[in-house]
Amino acid sequence: MQAESIDGIKFMVVSPAEIKRISVAKLIIPDTYNEDGYPIDGGVIDQRLGVVDPGFRCKTCGGSAKTCPGHFGHIELIRPVVHPEFAKAVYLILQSTCDKCHRLLVSDEQMEKMRSEIAAEFEEGEQNSRGQTQKKIKTANKCPHCGAKQRKLKFERPTMFYLDQDRIKPDELTDWLSKIPDEDVRLLGMDPKSFRPEWLVLTNLLVPPVNVRPSITLETGERSEDDLTHKLVEIMRINKKLEQDIDAGTPQIIIDDLWELLQYHVTTYFNNETPGVPVARHRTSRPLKTLAQRLKGKEGRLRYNLSGKRVNFSARTVIVADGSLNVDQVGVPRKIAEVLTIPAYVTQWNIDSMKALLSRAEYPMVLNVITKEGIRKRVTDVNRQELLGELAPGYIMDRQLQDNDIVLFNRQPTLHRVSIMAHRVKVLPGRVLRLHVAATNPYNADFDGDDMNLHVPQSLEAQAEAKVLMAPSKQILSPRDGTPLMAMEEDELVGLYYLTGEDIYFNKEDTASILSASQIFEMPDAGKNGMYSGKSIFSMLLPKDFNLEVKSPEGLVVIKSGDLVKGIISSDLIGTFKNSMLLVKIYKDYGPDFATDFLLKISKMSLAVAYLLGFTISLGDYHNPESVNKEKEKIISDAKAKVREMIKNYKSNKLEALPGNTKRETLEVLVGVALRETRSIASKMLQKTLTDKNHVNLMAKIGARGNILNFVQTTLFLGQQDVRGKRPSRGYSGRVLPLFKKGSNDPAAHGFVTSSFIEGMKLPEYYMHGMGSRDSAVSKQLVVPTSGYMYRRVLNAMQDFYVDTNLRVRDASGALIQTIYGGDGKDTMDELLEKA
Amino acid sequence: MKEFSIQSGEAVGVVAAESIGEPSTQMLLRVFHSAGISSAVVTTGLPRILEIIDARKNPKSPIMHINMAKGIEKNYEKVREVRKKIEEVKVSGLIKGFTENLKSGLMELELDREKMAQHEINARSVMSKIEAFGADTELEGDTIKIKIKKKENLKATRISFVNIRGLPVGGIPGIDKAIVEQAEDGAFFITTVGSNIKGVLDIEGVDKEKAYSNNIVEIMNMYGVEAARNTIARELYSTITAEGFTTNFRHLSLIADAMCFYGAVKGVGRHGIAGLKESVFARAAFEETVKHFVNAAIFSERDNLRGVAENILIGKQVPVGTGFVKLAVKKDDLKKIKSKDKANK
Repeated sequence: MQAESIDGIKFMVVSPAEIKRISVAKLIIPDTYNEDGYPIDGGVIDQRLGVVDPGFRCKTCGGSAKTCPGHFGHIELIRPVVHPEFAKAVYLILQSTCDKCHRLLVSDEQMEKMRSEIAAEFEEGEQNSRGQTQKKIKTANKCPHCGAKQRKLKFERPTMFYLDQDRIKPDELTDWLSKIPDEDVRLLGMDPKSFRPEWLVLTNLLVPPVNVRPSITLETGERSEDDLTHKLVEIMRINKKLEQDIDAGTPQIIIDDLWELLQYHVTTYFNNETPGVPVARHRTSRPLKTLAQRLKGKEGRLRYNLSGKRVNFSARTVIVADGSLNVDQVGVPRKIAEVLTIPAYVTQWNIDSMKALLSRAEYPMVLNVITKEGIRKRVTDVNRQELLGELAPGYIMDRQLQDNDIVLFNRQPTLHRVSIMAHRVKVLPGRVLRLHVAATNPYNADFDGDDMNLHVPQSLEAQAEAKVLMAPSKQILSPRDGTPLMAMEEDELVGLYYLTGEDIYFNKEDTASILSASQIFEMPDAGKNGMYSGKSIFSMLLPKDFNLEVKSPEGLVVIKSGDLVKGIISSDLIGTFKNSMLLVKIYKDYGPDFATDFLLKISKMSLAVAYLLGFTISLGDYHNPESVNKEKEKIISDAKAKVREMIKNYKSNKLEALPGNTKRETLEVLVGVALRETRSIASKMLQKTLTDKNHVNLMAKIGARGNILNFVQTTLFLGQQDVRGKRPSRGYSGRVLPLFKKGSNDPAAHGFVTSSFIEGMKLPEYYMHGMGSRDSAVSKQLVVPTSGYMYRRVLNAMQDFYVDTNLRVRDASGALIQTIYGGDGKDTMDELLEKA
Repeated sequence: MKEFSIQSGEAVGVVAAESIGEPSTQMLLRVFHSAGISSAVVTTGLPRILEIIDARKNPKSPIMHINMAKGIEKNYEKVREVRKKIEEVKVSGLIKGFTENLKSGLMELELDREKMAQHEINARSVMSKIEAFGADTELEGDTIKIKIKKKENLKATRISFVNIRGLPVGGIPGIDKAIVEQAEDGAFFITTVGSNIKGVLDIEGVDKEKAYSNNIVEIMNMYGVEAARNTIARELYSTITAEGFTTNFRHLSLIADAMCFYGAVKGVGRHGIAGLKESVFARAAFEETVKHFVNAAIFSERDNLRGVAENILIGKQVPVGTGFVKLAVKKDDLKKIKSKDKANK
């Protein structure tokens, strides 16, 4: 429950008077501690500003280091200085006002017009400037009010102003700005009630409380001050020097120098990265982190501390696969379950079981008891009996994590919403978190040492929300394109292929063991001579009223009243990132929970088949018959001949240039195409000659693992290597490697590799391949940061969009983005389910 | 049959952002495609997505797809003639060779009659173009003699010569190449490298209703925001699909709608929609923290805390998704109503 809530936050410029009002102490001594190690009164760590060391008491509120919130102080600047961040605003205001009478350089009639415009804007409702930037008001050369001719105004970054050649000193600036009437300020788009131009020039400097800039004590007992404290000491030192010099009647030049130094220190106090200003450094030559640096960037206050929330009730370790879990479960090590707690509410109906739980002294036990008054008591062997007697409805107990508790499971990078899902806990021995392999896909996890995070939602609302919205069963279909995120993969597909293939029969024993793997204890109708067809075994999984007719690359698949009549169940019907009509239809007709259960059962069944029949690949699969090798030679020599022909045509000027290309470019394009297409020619040739007996080919065909291109590269030839999308052409003069002839047209001299991985590459080929690999490795490195930044920008631009009750899309301010979401008011899954 | 519709409060913006953010991290990693035969090189993958999302004024590879007017779309010769009118011809594209004398400021261009005939350009028009640039010309057989009017130093003369050779003499400016291609139904169409919708529409024989350019800003200036919105969504869709990913069109259309919300195409970055958000905190937390706070102070801005980022910042529940639901009656008001009811009874 939120006791109080913030409705809005208004930003303002602090006036000198306001500074004095907030301030609890005027600071005068440019030092921190005295010889005894106590804070000096009137120094920058005056105890009236709060205390950071335990044992001291704040002199303003009397609180200790823990209870005192800190109080502001102030420094009275002997001479005013320009606030560096506001310097540009000052410049624009100066430009828009007369240098003599300080009115807006706009005639009375125009003023009237502007006034009505602004009034109209206000009438439209709450004034909202939406990141309004200051604009110079079109100005006249001659003041329409006093008739004074305007002198040329010059702004020199960061804080200097000139009229013609004369410098406008900050005290003159204050004078000028304070003479601008309120109504003219309003015309500039500002609210004179909370903003006056002269406030942009500092006469009083607000000093933040000490807990904003705590000093730390090093092991040596030496004190080390915060960067801000250092900066404040310097400001005060110059300020004091300036005061003394003025009193002593020192020459104006020296005073001006000091004044400028004061301006420098104030500038760097606000922003130590102000352009055109030398960086203020610590004794160790490290640049000081001043106010702007504290807020800015990834490690700044806003992004690191305010937006970056930290949590309790979380765990993280290595993950491991566990096939015996359900997809919506997560295996939690006992050690973690013992530490993480979940609140259990004692009511009159469950008090007996709660008492039983509280009385336990080992694993599923209670760690804390919270009384009705909200006092948290740690349960120990000593006070357990006492607490048992005390326990009554209204108490809350922190009990250890148990089976079937709802937890959130996450893997970073959290790129999409399925990177966090709600799982049911299964407490298991060991030291690792475990998950079902099917759940691996949405997280993009593997088990080569990946870590994952676990979070325990504490409130009942959070638990309910997680269970209803974030369960893996609700996330089977991707919100991106509606394809399944969790479905059959690898071995499961192999098993399915063997199970549902044509003319496949199992004997009674095998049938029974396959079916029992997925918890089915009935037998299908026996086929001829007491054998059971694979299709009929598979059909046992399907509901009796299920119908489907889909075309897949392996032919038509027909399911009639829960009977697989025709076709092979392949990855196109039930794989990840495919249309997977079988799964989608099941999801649509029987709901997410049934679909998850269905997936699990198929998985168990297909794996049982795969285990029963066995599946392996061997080196023999990579051994091509002589005919294939001959084909390979033919493909390569054909391509080379084609290239030779083209070069001949080019040299005899017979080659016709492609439109918009020179002949030289045309040659390169055509040669590139001829050489690159060898790979696809070879894969087509292979697909024709290879049978299902070649298991590598089979895996590629049914989408279990690998693709035909891998096969081509391992057994036939690697093909053209590319550097930056082109054939390699640079290196030595006129050639890529010194062993080629200058200007050689041989495909091999430009990265055409005719050896395979099995054969091994020749040295120049190896080099070319290395160039190609290096090129892709480099481009990979570039993708992650660029795409990450793009993602951040898109997300930031659109994170506020929501669908309102009329299916319209609006942003945070209620502005209408889309009149109906997606043109039909449906979400991605719905659209696909409707089609199914 | 179940009624399908999106749930109120659903954070569709986040889903849309995820739908292009997640695949984009995998993009280019899967580069393994052989380059196509088409001679029009298109920016693809992540760089192209960045171009669209940033609403760049000058994309790396502007391309037009021009359909032919009814009647001539299957006549190759006629289409070729249209192509000639479209492709920009420069002086350098009409000459066999040239000699230049930098000291005296003289250059001789040897015209290629064949090419001139091909583009239907005569020497006169070439010369007038060069004269307009600021040089005297003289025709001698197939050679144009050029003398720079102004006396310049050697370097400036050289630059002038290069500029003269780069002068456009025909076709549509900005169209570097035009390629005639054939669709499956036998109709010919022209693909161009470089884009200039206005210029192309003036050419006779072009189907004026079906000229397509992938330059979003140009589309906006020519046809307006709605057309730009459609182009953004379409271009995003085709680039993502070309990389082998699938994304539902609604996500991309939402991005396009957001980019066109202000009546003109805006990028998504700090100068675009992310920098124009209502909330001071949301803008400050994104980029240019100090600038936003300073401006907010000057203009006495108020942050009404209605977005996601600012509510995370102050630790309140976010107003989308399940946080979208609010109580219609406040707890205190409910008590009052109850006591009133009692009193009435």
